[in-house]
Amino acid sequence: MHIPLSDDEIAYIEGEDGTIALAKSKGRFFYLETEEREVILFTEPEDLMVASSFGRGEKIRRGLHCTLFQLRELGAPLIVLPKGHPASPRLKTVVSIGPFTRLSCTIQPGTHPEQNVLCGSEEFHGLEIVAGPRGAEVKGWLAEGKGAALVVERF
Amino acid sequence: MCTVGGGPDIGEVETLAARDYECLDCKSKFQGMGRRPMCPPVNQGM
Repeated sequence: MHIPLSDDEIAYIEGEDGTIALAKSKGRFFYLETEEREVILFTEPEDLMVASSFGRGEKIRRGLHCTLFQLRELGAPLIVLPKGHPASPRLKTVVSIGPFTRLSCTIQPGTHPEQNVLCGSEEFHGLEIVAGPRGAEVKGWLAEGKGAALVVERF
Repeated sequence: MCTVGGGPDIGEVETLAARDYECLDCKSKFQGMGRRPMCPPVNQGM
């Protein structure tokens, strides 16, 4: 599935139990903070910011939008939690930034610094999101068309 | 306030492929990953 996406748009992929939001990184850089060090993540204009949350509906969409807005427009840092941190199961959104993201439901949310795998609900497990100059290619979405929805709004 | 998700817990070794850089202007050193490194501003925040 191709999702056309411009710089000033945000796309939401809504499933039964989870929502994924996509927006372009616009070539910005991002601060990635682990317990030991800070790494700066440089991106290409077509790279994508992918945020994931459990649940669906307007409240979830607003939360995802807020997260991506803080990162891209306010320069908020990405925080990586140490493994086993008590905050991990309490996280409401997790984010991956780069040219490729694969959703997984078998990882511990917020504890991994790499930017190519992202925690998501079970229905999105294995879903792949590839950035392109005109938007995103979404592959392996098994639930597509079964109560799922795609919403594109102004960022 | 925001968090990242990343590599799987099982089967893959976690790596953070960051490289060391030094800004030619201000000489600040930083670690970066990505294809177009640039000097980041320092001491931005609250």
